[in-house]
Amino acid sequence: MDYLGQDRREGLGRRAHSRTTLVLLILVSVLLLLSSLYSAQASVFKKAREGVMDAASPVLSLIAGPVAYVNGVMGSVGDYFNVMEQNKALREENAELRQWMNEALELRETVATYEALQNYAAPPEAQPISAFVIGESNDAFARSMIVNAGRANNVEMGQAVVNDAGLVGRIVEAGGDASRVLLLTDIQSRIPVYIEGADVEGILVGNTRSNPVISFTASADDVEAEPGQRVLTSGAGGALPRGLPVGTVKGEIRGGITVDLYANYARTRMVRVINYAFPAIDHVTGEGDAAPEDGPPSASDQSAADQPPAEG
Amino acid sequence: MGYRAETLFRLLKAAAPTMLGVLGVLILAAPIRLFEGFAPTPILPLVIVFFWSVYGPDYLPPLSVFVIGLLQDLLTGGPLGLWPAVYLVTQYIVMSQRAYFLGREQKVVWLGFALASIGAGLILWLVMSLLSGALLPVRHLMSQLAVTVLIYPLFGVAFGELHRRVLVEA
Repeated sequence: MDYLGQDRREGLGRRAHSRTTLVLLILVSVLLLLSSLYSAQASVFKKAREGVMDAASPVLSLIAGPVAYVNGVMGSVGDYFNVMEQNKALREENAELRQWMNEALELRETVATYEALQNYAAPPEAQPISAFVIGESNDAFARSMIVNAGRANNVEMGQAVVNDAGLVGRIVEAGGDASRVLLLTDIQSRIPVYIEGADVEGILVGNTRSNPVISFTASADDVEAEPGQRVLTSGAGGALPRGLPVGTVKGEIRGGITVDLYANYARTRMVRVINYAFPAIDHVTGEGDAAPEDGPPSASDQSAADQPPAEG
Repeated sequence: MGYRAETLFRLLKAAAPTMLGVLGVLILAAPIRLFEGFAPTPILPLVIVFFWSVYGPDYLPPLSVFVIGLLQDLLTGGPLGLWPAVYLVTQYIVMSQRAYFLGREQKVVWLGFALASIGAGLILWLVMSLLSGALLPVRHLMSQLAVTVLIYPLFGVAFGELHRRVLVEA
């Protein structure tokens, strides 16, 4: 193949072997890396990310269409071969779910009765925003998705993203009409969770593996959790609503409990962004328009409501 | 062909490797889940950077490589400057070994690409481990690099044809 590599100056770079530019640009990259380390949330970088995401979202949507089609065809070819087993498994699951449904209906009635007896204030309803996954970070160490809903659809930073199975992640960048979802498996992901039945809260920490780990505070007692117990968001810190299903306990490793996520990222095509407003603390309670006693409450109210989600 | 069309064609040819690199980044950012996410998407920009660093550095100047890497950082949400550094260091090393690769069999070049990928992966892993303060698991990175190395011959031939028949000759 010696026809290749002839030095003909026809490319974009007019000077061959421009080592100086190369070294200079390597230095620029390293500087950029260092500066983005110390100011990851700097507005310039944030603007650039959101701008590129917005600009790329039509192209990505265009690519995502045929990709989804091909994946669908390939997936259904696979399904033909095990349609029998799937049918059987689904029938069994259906029977089981029917029992659960009956139980849930009964419980709903009971809870409604109790709520009527007590003076119960329901938490604010979440407003889900539906979106398609148009991009995905296929990177060894960064796990995120790009969805085609942004600020124009009321998506904001910190909101929870779920699919039909459970929690997918949370919004870390909200562009005009596309947003980035940080997945639970990313090394930067930290989600407050609790284990159902174990009465203990912890933080779900991503580590790029498919099973993130719940870590507990050093002062916590020994946590006893059995495989199969449900893991749900605890809502601590007010960033996410309480009770979103995350996964099940898988096992125990040094320093935490591994979790089997409900969400299957390889099959996640459509998600819902949960537009949840954390109930603000209201100082003026009870008697109608009673005057506030200790100063104007508005400032502290605001800060409680606008608190940015605690990160790492 | 008129003078104008010829200039346009010339410009297109000159920018072709850069545009391919950008396309590679877009493919990397698309939700392509080969075999239900079992096989990771190959890092096509790495193939492009390697190929044109060997066979036509003039067609892929460092600035193009920088832009391709930066675009990848912005789209995958990683720290800015990571991929430009990885690609540019790869380009630097490959260009210093260029004389060795030129005129060699494709098998040898393939081996060279495998070594370059290992180098690139090492940089990536070291930087990300340093940034996150812990030694990160390498399994996913290794499988992604393996897929990239495996597809190299296919793209090597395709890019070779493109380079020989369109970019240099026509």
